[in-house]
Amino acid sequence: MIIRKLCMRQSRQLLALSRRAPISSRFQSTLPESPVETLQTPIRDEISRSENPLFEMVQAQSEASTPAQQEFTSDEPQRSNFKKLGTSVKSSYDPENVIRNPPKPSQISLEMLLAAGTHLGHSTSRWNPQNSRYIFGIREGVHIISLDVTAAHLRRAAKVVEEVAARGGLILFAGTRKGQKRAIVQAASLAKGYHIFERWIPGSLTNGEQILGHCETKVVNALDEELPDFKSDLADRPSLKPDLVICLNPLENVVLLHECGLNNVPTIGVIDTDADPTRVTYPIPSNDDSLRATCLIAGILGRAGEAGQLRRLKMAQEGRTSYTPITAQELRLDPFTGLATGADGQKK
Amino acid sequence: MAWHKPNSLTQAMQSLRLTSTLPKPSLQAPRTTLNTLRTRTYATEAESAPAAAAPEINFGSFTQKPARIIPASPSYFSGSPRFTDHVLKLEALQAKHASLPTVATSEAPRMAWFKLPQFRDYVGEPVPMKKYKSLVKILQRLNRIQPDMVPDEVRNTLSAFLRPGNPYAVENVPRTVDENGRARGKGKRKESTAVVQLVEGEGEVLVNGKSLVEAFKRVHDRESALWALRCTQRLDKYNAWIRVRGGGVTGQAEAITLALGRALLLHEPGLKPVLRKAGAITVDARRVERKKPGHVKARKMPTWVKR
Repeated sequence: MIIRKLCMRQSRQLLALSRRAPISSRFQSTLPESPVETLQTPIRDEISRSENPLFEMVQAQSEASTPAQQEFTSDEPQRSNFKKLGTSVKSSYDPENVIRNPPKPSQISLEMLLAAGTHLGHSTSRWNPQNSRYIFGIREGVHIISLDVTAAHLRRAAKVVEEVAARGGLILFAGTRKGQKRAIVQAASLAKGYHIFERWIPGSLTNGEQILGHCETKVVNALDEELPDFKSDLADRPSLKPDLVICLNPLENVVLLHECGLNNVPTIGVIDTDADPTRVTYPIPSNDDSLRATCLIAGILGRAGEAGQLRRLKMAQEGRTSYTPITAQELRLDPFTGLATGADGQKK
Repeated sequence: MAWHKPNSLTQAMQSLRLTSTLPKPSLQAPRTTLNTLRTRTYATEAESAPAAAAPEINFGSFTQKPARIIPASPSYFSGSPRFTDHVLKLEALQAKHASLPTVATSEAPRMAWFKLPQFRDYVGEPVPMKKYKSLVKILQRLNRIQPDMVPDEVRNTLSAFLRPGNPYAVENVPRTVDENGRARGKGKRKESTAVVQLVEGEGEVLVNGKSLVEAFKRVHDRESALWALRCTQRLDKYNAWIRVRGGGVTGQAEAITLALGRALLLHEPGLKPVLRKAGAITVDARRVERKKPGHVKARKMPTWVKR
């Protein structure tokens, strides 16, 4: 019996250990014998440059009333004249672009991941051996994560996000590190999901009544339009739980992942070489210390969610849903006892 | 999406169609169904008329059916969704208008933002002080946009965070001598408060209805009470009617000094440097320090005793 329990306890970690790639081979893979051939096509800047907000503002203020506004707008022809002069920079890296206009999951390429630095792991001394299957080799004492593995896992995670969104699930994007805020908020708005960019309040899932009880909820129809008639039925409902959690820094959000595990909520996590991949359901082996890498991953997952939501709304317009909708009768019942609320009121 | 928000014309047409079709079947339907039952005896018998098409999907009821319960705000899981939404909205606004010219903090219009308890009432969430301070910082940055270039959306958003009744709207009117030639001055010292009514006259002084000698036994107190008039050599040029409350004799005398100095300044503003130098209009803000636990007085410690 003891042996069986041991197997149950250790089997997840054993599964995580790669059998195909023994650890010893990792230390020999530093120096490739033949030079690696790389694609010569440059990364094209497919994403159109976002418009200058200043220009829009000036357009809006074309009917300038005050002298200061007139002075500000009078420079506009001058500026547009000088815009034609000089050279034009064609392919440049704009750090804002990955946040404002993230790429789609179909656009994932190894070059893109390499440029974002997703392959850089941690110092070899800090590794978690469970990540050996994701590691390509060692360079200057730092583990290098295999880019094709990252791309494959990222595509899988994007698929998961898209399907959950298409089935009307609540997707929570969590990135509590400094600088991840904007990417998280943008991804959540694309995927019509929810965001956490400050500390996860411990107990938000396990003790949701206390912590999220006062937060507002609403009843929507299949087209995501609010139905105010059901507002009175929402009073004594348990707090909501996400259906999928995406965590950009699992090392700092141990409590969040633990609560997700307890509540059977699947998780997607960015797993660096020092993190434990068994903590999350769908790991994405990648560098989690680079903002550019995590912003790229958040953006791609946000785009995936956007595609899923579009699909769901399209179905809803045809009068179909890919999930079992809650009925008006269920809403009127007491969520804890399953009895009609009217009968409950009479008892009291 | 056309069906889901029909315009008034199509609505009217639909209602017409409904009213024309609805009442008829209620009377005639039973008979027709009976007739059809009688005529169609066998299931295998071929139908005489082709089956009518299925009725249209009633999208109206589909849109009225509940499908999901979802959070009202994308910040639901942060625990304070309304506050987080406010912060995100303000940050977006700040980023949008970052290129507008700004003025120095001192020249920006003075705004009375919500105090923390008022803000907590406003959002209905227990917002910590530190987080509210960071929100006020964004408000102040938006408020620094050059006043004649502030976009309407910024102005409207900022006005939502102002506490009701603008305390900075009323400007302090400079005090002057009133129509009866009276100048009123107030002064405080220690626990005492003095109000002086000063008129031009022959040097009569009444303190709480008593003469100066009756009110202050010590010569030093009398000197200090009228110090503002004495140092400017105007003892015989003004009459003073003084009311003083609270505190002890010294405190009352020095409260009168300050009140008298301020009242005299209304009559003769040119005396300000003299009065300042003489110390007649300098406020002494010292008050008795509170006693602390573990101390005998404010600072005195009990004597050390060996065991």
